[in-house]
Amino acid sequence: MPLRSSDARWGALAQFFHWTVALLIVAQGAIGLAMVAMAPTVAKVKVYALHKSIGLTVLALALLRLAWRAADRRPADPPAMPRRQALAARAVHAALYVLILAIPLSGWLFNSAANFPLSWFGLVHVPSLTGGADPALKAFARAAHETLFWILVAVLAAHVGAALKHHYVDRDAVLARMLPWRTRRRPVPSGDSAR
Amino acid sequence: MKRLVPLLAALAFALPAAAREWNVDMTRSTLGFTATYQGEAFDGRFERFGAKIAYDPADLAHAKFDVSVDLASADTQNAERDQMLPGADFFDVAKFPRARFVSTGFRRAADGTVLADGILTLRGVSRPLTLTVKFTPAAAGAALDVGASLRRLDFGVGGGDWADTSVIANAVTVKAHLALTPAGG
Repeated sequence: MPLRSSDARWGALAQFFHWTVALLIVAQGAIGLAMVAMAPTVAKVKVYALHKSIGLTVLALALLRLAWRAADRRPADPPAMPRRQALAARAVHAALYVLILAIPLSGWLFNSAANFPLSWFGLVHVPSLTGGADPALKAFARAAHETLFWILVAVLAAHVGAALKHHYVDRDAVLARMLPWRTRRRPVPSGDSAR
Repeated sequence: MKRLVPLLAALAFALPAAAREWNVDMTRSTLGFTATYQGEAFDGRFERFGAKIAYDPADLAHAKFDVSVDLASADTQNAERDQMLPGADFFDVAKFPRARFVSTGFRRAADGTVLADGILTLRGVSRPLTLTVKFTPAAAGAALDVGASLRRLDFGVGGGDWADTSVIANAVTVKAHLALTPAGG
């Protein structure tokens, strides 16, 4: 698979960013929801540290991904796709980019305002954004982190739902071109059984 | 009878000598500690403590520190941590509300630093602790800066799970700055 995207297909790097971040988001959601219910033990501290490290990873990958997106091209929309559907897809993608930046940032801010230390997997010390405790900012960042997460869940439902609709209802290549393996729905001149 | 007078005089000369006593101006004094959580140092301070200080750099033999700390008054600028510190796993203030340091003797180290040996009682454990002492005379009184290093696990602070020193380091430094004003003056 070529590194760069083509008119018909996402390239290896775009796919790597897409699926790595997708996996980390699912993991983060599960860890985040589970960890807040834990009793205050050392295990909780370690799970929080993991959540923070993964969150910083997502933030870094999101930035790299945006940089790559600026350099890379993107596959064309299917010809049959209505204009407002294309606009809706753009809006959902833009929202996803904003969210995968804003959610880690709000977590970082929450952690800073709560005056907890921050490190990336215990290897790299990450500085505080506030330089100390800030109870008002802490409450704001916490609410933002949680609200943005639930907005992400909703936007992801639209994103995944639309991808599945393209695949199973419209039977176009929109999902397939983001898959690392070849699937039946490559753009083929005629017929639909090119398995 | 005639011999008694010089004897009394000698006795009077030998007796007095409780070193100079000071009042501590609490509004200008701090007592705190630095510990390490997840590899990062953080500072805490005790809002409430009391100190009885008798000190004269020229008369270390009669110096005396007696410091008592209200452990429930710890503030580390972190709400979650400050909620845990008074609990049974850490200071256990329900059983041991105060820590106390009482000096047993003062000496001068080879480099001239004054050291105060004493006993720290914390969380029901009494162990020897040595403070470094820096006394700085000022216009109307003096400043007293003391420091010490201890291992929290020697006193059972952060037991059970929290004994994990990769999460909370064992070494803790304690620092105090006391603003002294002349007693009774």
